[in-house]
Amino acid sequence: MTQPASLAPSPAAPDAELPLIEVEHLKTYYPIRAGIIRRTVGQVKAVDDVSFQIRKGEVFGLVGESGCGKTTLGRTLLRLEKATAGQVKMEGRNILAFKGDDLKALRRRIQVIFQDPVGSLNPRMPVSDIIGEGLMAQATAENGWADRTARDKRTGDYLEVVGLRRDYARRYPHEFSGGQRQRIGIARALALDPEFVFADEPVSALDVSIQSQILNLMSDLREQFNLTYLFVAHNLSVVQYISDRVGVMYLGKIVEVADVADLYAHPRHPYTVALLSAVPDPDPRVRKKRLVLHGDVPSPAKPPTGCRFHTRCWLREQLGNPEQCSAEDPAPRDMGGGHQVACHFAEQVSKSVASETIHGVIASKTQETGPVVAGA
Amino acid sequence: MTTDLDPGAHALRAGVGDVLLDVRDLRTHFKVMDGLVKAVDGVSFSIRRGGRLALVGESGCGKSVTALTIMRLIDQPPGLIAGGEIMFNGRDLLKLSDQEIRKIRGGQIAMIFQEPMTSLNPVLTVGAQLTEAILLHQETDKKGARRIAQTALEDVGVADAKRRLDQYPHELSGGMRQRVMIAMALSCNPALIIADEPTTALDVTIQRQILELIKDIQTRTGAALLLITHDLGVVAETVDDVAVMYAGRVVETGSVEEVLLHPRHPYTRGLLESIPSQGKRGKPLSVIKGMVPNPFRMPPGCKFQPRCPYQWGECATGEAPLISLGEGISSRCLLHDPRFRDRLAAYDTPMGDPA
Repeated sequence: MTQPASLAPSPAAPDAELPLIEVEHLKTYYPIRAGIIRRTVGQVKAVDDVSFQIRKGEVFGLVGESGCGKTTLGRTLLRLEKATAGQVKMEGRNILAFKGDDLKALRRRIQVIFQDPVGSLNPRMPVSDIIGEGLMAQATAENGWADRTARDKRTGDYLEVVGLRRDYARRYPHEFSGGQRQRIGIARALALDPEFVFADEPVSALDVSIQSQILNLMSDLREQFNLTYLFVAHNLSVVQYISDRVGVMYLGKIVEVADVADLYAHPRHPYTVALLSAVPDPDPRVRKKRLVLHGDVPSPAKPPTGCRFHTRCWLREQLGNPEQCSAEDPAPRDMGGGHQVACHFAEQVSKSVASETIHGVIASKTQETGPVVAGA
Repeated sequence: MTTDLDPGAHALRAGVGDVLLDVRDLRTHFKVMDGLVKAVDGVSFSIRRGGRLALVGESGCGKSVTALTIMRLIDQPPGLIAGGEIMFNGRDLLKLSDQEIRKIRGGQIAMIFQEPMTSLNPVLTVGAQLTEAILLHQETDKKGARRIAQTALEDVGVADAKRRLDQYPHELSGGMRQRVMIAMALSCNPALIIADEPTTALDVTIQRQILELIKDIQTRTGAALLLITHDLGVVAETVDDVAVMYAGRVVETGSVEEVLLHPRHPYTRGLLESIPSQGKRGKPLSVIKGMVPNPFRMPPGCKFQPRCPYQWGECATGEAPLISLGEGISSRCLLHDPRFRDRLAAYDTPMGDPA
C-alpha cells in the first residue's frame, strides 16, 4: 500500500493565491416537462447563481446535503452538464464557450474521480483499456499516446503511482476490492496529466480503514503532480481533513465560503452551524449542544422565497421571524479574511453559538441499563 | 407489554438476572458455489432490559447477518446456523418453530432497516403497512388498528399523521420514510429494537433528527436497542456499550467510553486512528494496511493478524478467545494473555490522539 510520504495540505505556496478557476454567476437549470408535447412547465434550479474561486494548488471542499447541487456544480465546471447562464474562467478564459480543439485540450486538463468505484469502471474492459481509453482519445504527435506500447507503459506507471502493481493492467474491475477500484479511478484521471481534478465523493463508498488510505494517496498525489482539487463530499470530517478552503451549499446556492479552520471554528451561516452541530463525534467526551433542524430540505423545483434556508432556520426563529428573511435573497457578503456569507443576520450567529460545544468527561452512566458481555 | 416468558427455562439459566437478549457463540455460515462462507463465526454479546448496545464494524464483518439471524430471517439453505444460541427472554430463538418465531418477530423484537425505500412496500399505503403488523400482533379490529397506527406516527413526530396514513411511500421524504419504519417497529411495543444502519442513507441533519428520535423513544418505552452501524460517531452518541466485530467475530466489547477512549484491541485502535479529524490536518492519516481477508482464505490464527501492527509469531498459530478484562470489557487479542504482559506494556505506551 502507499506510504504517505509528504505532508497533506500545506500552507499556501506563493502562487497559491492565483485563481485557477473563477466561477461567476453560474446557473444550471433542468427543465421539468409535462403533458404529451413535453412542454416545459418549470425548472429545477440545481445550481442557482453561484460565484466562487478555486485557487491554484488548493483543495476546495464543497459540502452540503444530497440534492443541494454540489455534484451538478462540479459536472458543470467539467462541461459534463450544460450551464444555463454564467461563466467559468480558467486562466482568464471562459471555458463554457470552448469548442473544437480548445475543448479537447480542456478535457485533458480537467479530470474527474467518481464516487462509485463499481459503476464508474466498465466491467468488460481490462484496466489497461480503462486507463488507455482516455490516453487514446487525447493522443497527439508530441505525447505519442497513439502507440499501444507507449500507452501501456504509461498505464503501468500510473498504476504504480497509485500503489497498485503494473501487471494489474491485464485484470478486470471485478477482480479488485472497492479501495483498489478507487485507485484505478484515480490512475485513470491522473494518467492524462491534469491540472484540475473534480473528486466527487471519492471516499463515500469506502470503509473507514480504506478511506484513510485513499485520502492519504490523494494528498500525496496533489503534492507530487501540483494538482488543484474540487473535493465534493457530504462527510464534514473528511472535508475538514483534506481541504484548504470550504464552500457550503444549500439548495443550489453557496451560502458560505471560508478557510477551513475559520469555517469549522467560526461558522457564520446558521445552516453551517446546524450542519456542523449534527455531525456525530466519535469522542464520547465531547457532548455538543445539538441544534436539530426541523423538517426536510425543500424541493429545488420550488425553492422558498427570499433566503432559501429561512423555512428551517433556527436563527430566524430566535430573532422573531424577521420579514427580510422570507422576502429578500441575501447576497454573499465578505465578513473579512475572505470569509463570505449569504445571510442577512450573520453577525448574530457567532453570539448564539459561543457556548456550543461543551467538553468534559461525562459522569459514568447508570449501570442498570448496561449490557453484560459474555466472555468466551 | 406481555411476555410469554417460560419461568422454567428461565430458572435453568442461573444469574442471567435481567438479561433480555443473550447471544452465545453464534455461527451463521453460507454454502455458496465456491465453498463455505463463515459470515458469523463466534459472536457473543448480551443486552439487558432497556440496555443499548452497538455492533460496530466494517462492511462484510457479519454485523447485519448477526441481526438477521436473531430475527431468524436467514434462508436455510444457503444459510446454515452452525452453532450457538440466542436466548431471548429465556427462550432460544433458534429452537422455536416458524409459527412461534413469527409471533416474536415484529412483535417483541422489531427491526428498523437501513433503506427505508426498499423496506416499505411501494404499492401499499403507509396505513395499510402499519395496520398489518398491528392486526397480526395485537387484539384489535381494523378501526382500532388504524387508531394505533395514527398514534404511532404522531409519536415519531410525523405531522398530519391522519393524512399520511393514506399516502404511499414515494410521497414521503427519506427522513419521513424512516420515521414510518420506526413507527411500524414501535407499534407493537417491542422489548427489543434492532436498528440496522438506520441513518446511513440519510443526510446529516436528518440523521440527527432520527438519532434523537430513536434515543427519545428508547428512553420513553424502555425497549432495549441493538444498533448496527459502521459509524463510530453514531456509536458514541447513541448507545452505552459496544461490541466491535471483525471477520465474523466480536473482537472487543465494553462501555462506549472504554472502547472509544482506551481501545483494547489493535483493530479498534486502528479504526479510531484512521478517522480524519481536525487535529490530524497536515499529517498523513494512520491507516490499517491491507484489506479485510477473503472469506474463502481466512488467515490462520487471529483473523486481524496480517494487518496488525502489533502482531508477532504467536498470532498466526492460535486464535485468542475473547479475554474478559472485567466490567464488561473484553478483547480477542493475545496481548491480553497474561503470558505476554511485556508486549501489552508496549501496546499501552504509544497512544495517539484517541479521537
